[in-house]
Amino acid sequence: MSNIKEYPLVDTTEPNLLEQTFDYGLPPMIHFDGPAIEVIDGRQVEFDPALLKSRDIVITDTTFRDGQQARPPYSVEQMVKIYDLLAKLGGPNGVIRQTEFFLYTKNDRETLDRCRELGHEFPECTGWIRAVKGDFRLVREAKLKESGMLTSCSDYHIFQKLKFKSRKQCMDSYCEVVDAAFEAGVRPRCHLEDVTRADIEGFVLPFVQRLMRMSEQVPDKLKAKIRLCDTMGFGISYPGVELPRSIPKLIYKMTQECGVPSERLEWHGHNDFHKVHVNGGSAWLYGCDAVNATLFGFGERTGNPPLESAIIEYIALKGGLCGIQTEVITEIADYMKSIGLPIPDNYPLVGKAFNTTRAGIHAGGLRQDERIYNIFDTTALLNRPPRVALTDKTGSDGVALWVNEFFGLKGDKRISKIKCHKVARWVTDQYEKHGRMTAISDEELETQVKELMPTYWEKYKG
Amino acid sequence: MATVKERVVAVTARVLQLDPKEILPEKTFTVDLGAESVQSIELVASFEEEFGIEMDEDAALSVENVGDAIAFITKVCKEQDVEI
Repeated sequence: MSNIKEYPLVDTTEPNLLEQTFDYGLPPMIHFDGPAIEVIDGRQVEFDPALLKSRDIVITDTTFRDGQQARPPYSVEQMVKIYDLLAKLGGPNGVIRQTEFFLYTKNDRETLDRCRELGHEFPECTGWIRAVKGDFRLVREAKLKESGMLTSCSDYHIFQKLKFKSRKQCMDSYCEVVDAAFEAGVRPRCHLEDVTRADIEGFVLPFVQRLMRMSEQVPDKLKAKIRLCDTMGFGISYPGVELPRSIPKLIYKMTQECGVPSERLEWHGHNDFHKVHVNGGSAWLYGCDAVNATLFGFGERTGNPPLESAIIEYIALKGGLCGIQTEVITEIADYMKSIGLPIPDNYPLVGKAFNTTRAGIHAGGLRQDERIYNIFDTTALLNRPPRVALTDKTGSDGVALWVNEFFGLKGDKRISKIKCHKVARWVTDQYEKHGRMTAISDEELETQVKELMPTYWEKYKG
Repeated sequence: MATVKERVVAVTARVLQLDPKEILPEKTFTVDLGAESVQSIELVASFEEEFGIEMDEDAALSVENVGDAIAFITKVCKEQDVEI
């Protein structure tokens, strides 16, 4: 029997712009119309995406830890400034809940003190140490309530890197450090390094179950957190993938078989296979409350989930801004560029050209209704109006769009492309007569507009 | 005084750099006379300047041939009380 179903045309003279999903004033919403389903140990398991609305999902930041492993160190002043901006971006509800600091150098500790002096409730400052008992002295001296600690869990790390003689010796060693954390009154956050390449049933689950049993003996504020570290970017979000690479299965095993509550479970990804952002979002969906991220994805090798994209994903899943100040994303990007961080032109949300169109046919669409070729109201949410870059492909629509943006004209005040014809001719001649091979800069255009449209220049810029 | 037709032909010949004899009422601007995108805009701008009128951009750019342009400009001149 055929599954083909007839769909008659639903004719209309009014467009259906699907604004429930594509509310231009917000990033596009992510609406689910059913559960996510995964088969685990032969049983069909449903994950309810509706819970994302009520769960306290958060972003945690590692710009100062993993982020700094990918670049020369930030100065104290730079880190304090970035921390302040993170607080502003995440807002009073603590969408950016925590950020972690190295504690090993004088500069590390001074930075931590200076950041805390700002008095922000969020992001909470936490530490990061090796799984060495003595390191808890640093955490205690810094008066931190929580610290991450390396508890690498693949045999690549256990045997090849850390040279343990057996898994038991490794687990005992880690648990000694967790005990030291409890004794120091510090909540341990166990970073299960390389978990997507580990023996899940042979080491990871027994270790996490032991951590949960140990946590039963301490107050809630000290109970161990688990960070799932996809150290090499091997994690896969697709249903049906086997462990250890399956993110749904890994999270299910943690929450359902080890008893790790979602609020004590975190995902830390890497981008070696271009999966980092969607893997982070999937971790939220399948039951991790925290996604660990860095500004602009800067982190070891290929980097981590980009924090600014996690912010947009958060809004899309929650259905509102939740106190987030999205325009601070642009402020942070401008600051990072000013201190030498390279951001490619086509980098989403903050690159110079992320909402710049070059094709004339796109510029034409943008001129008629900017929603046609702009992802959301980037002017309102990011202080970044959609732009056109002028090349031989741009055409007179693009020139008119550029001119109107330059003069800041909207609606009925916009200048028609007919009135921009001299500038359009100049652009065309650049390529047809002068053989130009590069895009035309804003500065060049400005000069031409001043010369070729003097009346408008006088009116709007004079 | 030159007629609307003569003035339209003269402007078209100048902008598109053609012999006025080639510019016949049935000729389309783009296919027959070879007007490229920016030249279409220049033609409309030049007609506005020649006749001292303001034309609706979309309506003016939807005119396809010389004869229709003559009729369209005549109509706009009348609407805007421009002597022709």
